[in-house]
Amino acid sequence: MNAIFGGTTALADRDSRESEFIETRMYASITADDAKINARKERIRATEQVLIGRILKGEKDLFVELIRPYQRTVYATLVTMLGSKEDAEDVSQEVLLKALARLDQFRRESAFGTWLIQIAINEAKMRKRKLRLGKMFSLTNGAEQDGAYVPKDFADWREIPSEALERSEIREALANALSLLEEHYRLTFVLRDVNELSIEETANVLGISCGAVKTRLRRARLMLRDILAPGLCQGGEVSLAFKKEVRKPWE
Amino acid sequence: MGIDCQEVWRDISDYIDDELDPKQRTALEEHFARCRQCASVLEGTCNVIRLYRDERTLAPPRGFHERLHQRLNQGAKASIHPSRRAVLAWALSAAAAVPLGFALYSARRIVLLRLEHQNPAGSPDSSPVTGLVAISENAEEKVFHVPGCPYLHGKLKFLPVEEAIREGYSPCPVCIGKRKLQKKI
Repeated sequence: MNAIFGGTTALADRDSRESEFIETRMYASITADDAKINARKERIRATEQVLIGRILKGEKDLFVELIRPYQRTVYATLVTMLGSKEDAEDVSQEVLLKALARLDQFRRESAFGTWLIQIAINEAKMRKRKLRLGKMFSLTNGAEQDGAYVPKDFADWREIPSEALERSEIREALANALSLLEEHYRLTFVLRDVNELSIEETANVLGISCGAVKTRLRRARLMLRDILAPGLCQGGEVSLAFKKEVRKPWE
Repeated sequence: MGIDCQEVWRDISDYIDDELDPKQRTALEEHFARCRQCASVLEGTCNVIRLYRDERTLAPPRGFHERLHQRLNQGAKASIHPSRRAVLAWALSAAAAVPLGFALYSARRIVLLRLEHQNPAGSPDSSPVTGLVAISENAEEKVFHVPGCPYLHGKLKFLPVEEAIREGYSPCPVCIGKRKLQKKI
């Protein structure tokens, strides 16, 4: 799976024109994703305003429809914070029940999804206090655990992402890599890159500045990239240009 | 000469989020064009983001939606007993409370029975004071007591209650209190 994340040894065989081509395409596709995400968010927000109004008038069955787009968001936030799938599901249910009970308190100037995540984070903190899980996770060197890096042809990577996620071991690897980060990195990354909140929304939820979000995000993304592409830091096989750099990208 | 690798890494995340000004962006793009390492970091990072954004990553487990639906249908009941653990804890507490409550009730009964045995008239005693009362002969205050009163001390003298009153003794507020004295007086 190392080829998925881009390997330096494979890159050594590529010429710079190919690199430029791929880089431009990568950037273009990420920004295109952002545009799609924003359009989808707008559509969801328009319908949820109507749904919330009807639920508050008594059509409580519609609540399932209202929360459908956010089930993964809430669960992903909780599994990231709590580290246990069972606890995450249990607390997810509590969060959504609370959201139904407090729906009349939802102020419409904020996004419903952001409001749900805030409830989820508070519930997770309370559950952690109960379970005293606060220091369960710590940053460890995931690259060492991943064993030797086997470079593959770089051209493969384009095809792999969507297909690879059908495999449970890839999904597990992504969840495990995330659990290796310290909580403030983990949570920032999940809000921004899993839950697709904007930088500003992430800052509001966490109660920190946009600058702090960007810093955490940079470190989290690069650490994850490094954990998932262990070949990058291996001696011997990397090019001289990279060897000169003593500091890790996130330092 | 353009920017170096460290500067690229510092800005790479903002580059992906399109948070850089056009000048910085061009500088990074020029660097990516000539540095394979940084191009690789960019590709890998974008790839990581896309994988985590995918709905299948960190997705709720199978049956999540059905279980949630079931719990929502339970409605108010579910919100009173929010989790299986809480229900279990509540049930265990209730189970423990039954024998404990019974034990306390039994203990109270035993103690009360004993007290009743010691003082058949019950407490507070409202029966009239009759017969002999006791006085402390060397006490300065002229107070008479029911035998057994803790305020009796020194050499005791027993005399009928009528005689004690006649001699100017008053009843002890502790052992006699508001008990009636004989009507004869």
